[in-house]
Amino acid sequence: MAGYELVFIVQPELEEEPRNALVSKVTQTISDLKGQVIKLDPWGKRRLAYPIKKHHEGFYVVVQMDLPPAAERSLERAIRLMEDIIRYLVVRKEIAPPAEPQQ
Amino acid sequence: MASQARSDGPRPRRYGSSDDDRRGGRRGYGPPAARRKCAFCANKALELDYKKVDMLHNYITERGKIGTRRHSGLCARHQRDMSLAIKRARHLALLPYTAEHVRKG
Repeated sequence: MAGYELVFIVQPELEEEPRNALVSKVTQTISDLKGQVIKLDPWGKRRLAYPIKKHHEGFYVVVQMDLPPAAERSLERAIRLMEDIIRYLVVRKEIAPPAEPQQ
Repeated sequence: MASQARSDGPRPRRYGSSDDDRRGGRRGYGPPAARRKCAFCANKALELDYKKVDMLHNYITERGKIGTRRHSGLCARHQRDMSLAIKRARHLALLPYTAEHVRKG
């Protein structure tokens, strides 16, 4: 198991309900891959610095998780197949034990 | 005798070495500026993260380019980390790739 951080952007026109369904689909995928979600942090809608797929806004979600390194590619593939996710990023990041409030 | 005295002192510098070129000598006018320590070395609690958009904004130019080390005052390691963080933030549309993106905004 290794610490990862996933950020993905959901297209803004998606209603709240299907969006929540999409987010739980992602977390479900993670647990299907024997991973474990540590923290789920939806930022909400944000203006994009440049348009992606003609969208000027996006709904950002940050997920911190533990995942077996071998499953990382499968997770990315699953995410790439979700059309409502217009952008994502997965990076290795060990999560420090209960971090003190930042800034 | 001379060599003995030297061995006690600081590391001898050979003339003409690249070290020598960089030190000494003043660039520009005005009083010599004190070298400021890299912000991330000075404050260990400060974490460099591609999600901290407001902080990253201080390290890019108006055109959205990554600022130089002179501009940022960072050490080599943190400048490197900074450049990676900015690139990740760009990928996530947290920062622009070009000024054109900003103008259309």
